[in-house]
Amino acid sequence: MSKDRVFRGRAIVVRDLMKTYVTYLRKGLFGRERKEVVALRGISFDVLSGEVFGLLGPNGAGKTTTVKILSTLLLPDKGEARVLGFDVVKEANKVRKVIGVSLSVEKGFFWKLTGRENLIYFGMLYGMNGPSLKKRVNEVLNLVGLESLGVSDKLYEEYSLGMKARLSIARALLTDPELLILDEPTLGLDPPSARTLRELLVRIAHEKGKTVLVTTHNMFEAEIVCDRVAIINEGRIVAVDKVESLKQKVADRISLEISAKLPADVSAKFLVSLIREKTGMPSEAFAEDEGFRIKVVTPPSESRDVTSAVLKLLHENRCSIRRVEVKEPTLEDVFIQLTGRTGF
Amino acid sequence: MGLKTLFKAGLMLDLYFFKNNRAAFISMLLWPYLVLSLILGMGTIFGNPESFKAKVGMEVDPIVYFVASTFVALSSIDVMWGVGGQILSQRWIGTLPYTLLAPYRTSVTLVVSYVPRYLLSISINILEFAPLIVIVSGAYQGVLKLGVLFLAATIGMFPLLGFSALFASLLLTIREESNILGWLNPIILLFSGAFYPAYLLPYWARLISQALPTTYTIELARTAALLSSPDLAHVTFLIGLLAGITVVYNFVAYLVIGAGERKAMREGAI
Repeated sequence: MSKDRVFRGRAIVVRDLMKTYVTYLRKGLFGRERKEVVALRGISFDVLSGEVFGLLGPNGAGKTTTVKILSTLLLPDKGEARVLGFDVVKEANKVRKVIGVSLSVEKGFFWKLTGRENLIYFGMLYGMNGPSLKKRVNEVLNLVGLESLGVSDKLYEEYSLGMKARLSIARALLTDPELLILDEPTLGLDPPSARTLRELLVRIAHEKGKTVLVTTHNMFEAEIVCDRVAIINEGRIVAVDKVESLKQKVADRISLEISAKLPADVSAKFLVSLIREKTGMPSEAFAEDEGFRIKVVTPPSESRDVTSAVLKLLHENRCSIRRVEVKEPTLEDVFIQLTGRTGF
Repeated sequence: MGLKTLFKAGLMLDLYFFKNNRAAFISMLLWPYLVLSLILGMGTIFGNPESFKAKVGMEVDPIVYFVASTFVALSSIDVMWGVGGQILSQRWIGTLPYTLLAPYRTSVTLVVSYVPRYLLSISINILEFAPLIVIVSGAYQGVLKLGVLFLAATIGMFPLLGFSALFASLLLTIREESNILGWLNPIILLFSGAFYPAYLLPYWARLISQALPTTYTIELARTAALLSSPDLAHVTFLIGLLAGITVVYNFVAYLVIGAGERKAMREGAI
């Protein structure tokens, strides 16, 4: 790859990246069995400078593996990845100087240090020092809202998950990097905290001119936050495009959503496979309070028949139906259409 | 950006930690005397100062002898726990990836950010033992001995850094949540003659003993403890020996750790 030709205007370039983990399962007292888990099967994508790019996929799809390789914490088996023109394997130290990383929002700080002290420590670890470090720490604490919450000088062990997530973003911003790499930044957060964090990400990206690579399995989040997304499933990229363009792929479809309560002896997974078998339409189930939500993507011309068939199946399986809705296609529908994965 | 900032980061981490966690600070102050009491207590159960002198074959005050041993043993354990053990503790609390994202080699980050904690720890230990040594040996002799002890612990740290970085690399690679250092430390101290002179060990054990940097650190500390006035020629000789071992161990560590780090990063151990 010619660096000038390929990397102009691109913050990240990934080509044919492959990764397989080798694990050993204990067998008896001394024996062990070798097991290979393929995490990435030759993925390729580009992230343009200044955009918010989402890596969207279910658990185990290969998102965190990709993020760790791009952050120089994991070596790929094959393929090439460049971050702001630097090779993640051969020029790892140069990559580390130009990125800010958040891998997990629930941990990653010293519990007996305050938020501010943690940031000062990591700032020094990353080569910052003196008054400029203190000034920068104040700036990022203000930016993520911890200063206005009055918790910058509270011990990390007293932080809520939402505060921890903000501090994690603050650390990623400390060195004022050109590129932010964020792995599931809203995972586990309650809806208000997740919304605040999403707004923060969009603000950082647009006002501060940062390139952001964010992974998520939350379609709603990807739709709101990302300029473009790559859908990753079982170690393969199945689509890369702008959110609106991806949605066009299922524009000829409508989404039927049914909320229901299950009897104790019937699983949502079973129902989803039954619906697929009877209707031939891609479907997905999501857990909800005291029940579940089933989503079936169908062409408008067949929606009446599909709705009848699904309701009949639910009725036969003793489900109490609460709500039936017909919706315009969303990114979630694109995901179901392209991967055929269920949420359970 | 340089190692000085990395060093300062380590210092700030410790100062913040002790500021916010006074129980840990008090434990650190009490620990050396608890260890010393245990050793002296056990010694009193199994024998008396005369039989100890007869076995060691030197005119030596058991208190000073064991203060020196305890001090060096604690310092050696601290190095190995500090560098190797922080891989485990940082993995548990989730800070390891962010520490390794510092733009230095992993081993350099782990070792250099640890050094201030070690220097802080031995300074506090020396200050703690100072009254006892001065009471037993007198003011002039006591200060001289404390000086040599501090020197021994500081110089003894350098070969141990490479030695400990090797263990850190091993811990990174094997991904074991159990701690190798827990059983390794006492064995190393036993072979180094921390609590019983190394020359009394069997021949095969003495060969292992001679290859361990802790042996010479302990010997240097004993020089301060045993002699009525530290023999400067002997002290210089031991310092030279430790400097040589430092070069060898750190060079070997540098070569081996690079391979270990790459293995850990290839296997996704971070």
